[in-house]
Amino acid sequence: MEYFKKIFKESLIVVILSSIIGLINGSFLSENDDILYSFPIILLLLPSLNSLIGNISTILTSRLTSHLYIGIIPPKIQKTNRLIQDFYGLLITLLLSMFALIIIGYSIGIISGIKIVNPFLIISLIIMTILCLFGIMFLFLFISSIFLFKLGKDPNNYLIPITTSLLDFLTPLFLIVFIQIFI
Amino acid sequence: MEDGDSKGKIVKEAFPSEIVCIIGDILAGIVLSVIILPFKSFLLLILIIPALLSLRGNLSSPYIARTSRDFIIGEFNFSSLIQNVFATYSLAMITGLIIGFFSFILNLILLKSNLIPWISLIFIPIISISLTLSISIPFSTLLNYIAFKNGLDPNNIVNPIMTAIDDFLTVICFFLTLLLLGVP
Repeated sequence: MEYFKKIFKESLIVVILSSIIGLINGSFLSENDDILYSFPIILLLLPSLNSLIGNISTILTSRLTSHLYIGIIPPKIQKTNRLIQDFYGLLITLLLSMFALIIIGYSIGIISGIKIVNPFLIISLIIMTILCLFGIMFLFLFISSIFLFKLGKDPNNYLIPITTSLLDFLTPLFLIVFIQIFI
Repeated sequence: MEDGDSKGKIVKEAFPSEIVCIIGDILAGIVLSVIILPFKSFLLLILIIPALLSLRGNLSSPYIARTSRDFIIGEFNFSSLIQNVFATYSLAMITGLIIGFFSFILNLILLKSNLIPWISLIFIPIISISLTLSISIPFSTLLNYIAFKNGLDPNNIVNPIMTAIDDFLTVICFFLTLLLLGVP
């Protein structure tokens, strides 16, 4: 039962913490139920928005970790060609995926009879949310990866679970705050 | 290898799997906005759903990664599979119980709703995540096996596909649990 014990011991805290962050996120959504009832398209798009920004951050973390281990990126906070390529590559992927998400989401929303309110403003706020989060996460992940790498830790093991859970909370938070500001 | 990755290569490799994820998650969103939103107890249910989605992500993704690794390094056998499955279910039960308990506490503090009995509130996450894993685990193990046997790297194939399928499965199983427990 060594394998069982190892999995259980290493995973328990992360799994519990991420679920608690999920509950905080749920409480926040529950407190802002009027927005969800007024703009049900947000509920339709929220799981894919969370996945999209979460996946891009996971790809960034694993790429940064590989670059640091291979030595392509020096463990210093400085601009390199590799970092610029990663930034633009992921930004283009994010933008293309976000437009695909909006087109597919709204089409399915219209087909399934979901009430569509103020679509242009909501789409603008979604784009603003995702771009803000991408900028923040890029800086956070770059600095944290270097910091963890210098400490001799594997950034993958720490940053992937933390950012996934954090983004599940930050995406609806940013979106709802923007809606409250602009609508 | 990675030194030669241009931004075009990143887009080419990451974009297709993102599209698969988006479609699966939009299906999950439809279930949420069309089926779950009209429930009388929606305010209480939306409290649990993000935690369940997070739990699912943090249980099945590492399960898939461990199974892929076991296949790749040649350590996949009946004993490793059983221990992996047992550990995943044990973590699910404990965390499901914690989610249920905290939902009960948060309901007492924030919502003060009596639409769902406390015992049902505690059992919703446990039953829901068990149902999800009962479909997800055999399916992802089979997908891992097929990818590996066909000379593909399961790490690149199985996780994006299963993320999309699992998020959809989570909300469907959540809905089935609500029907099973007679939640209004």
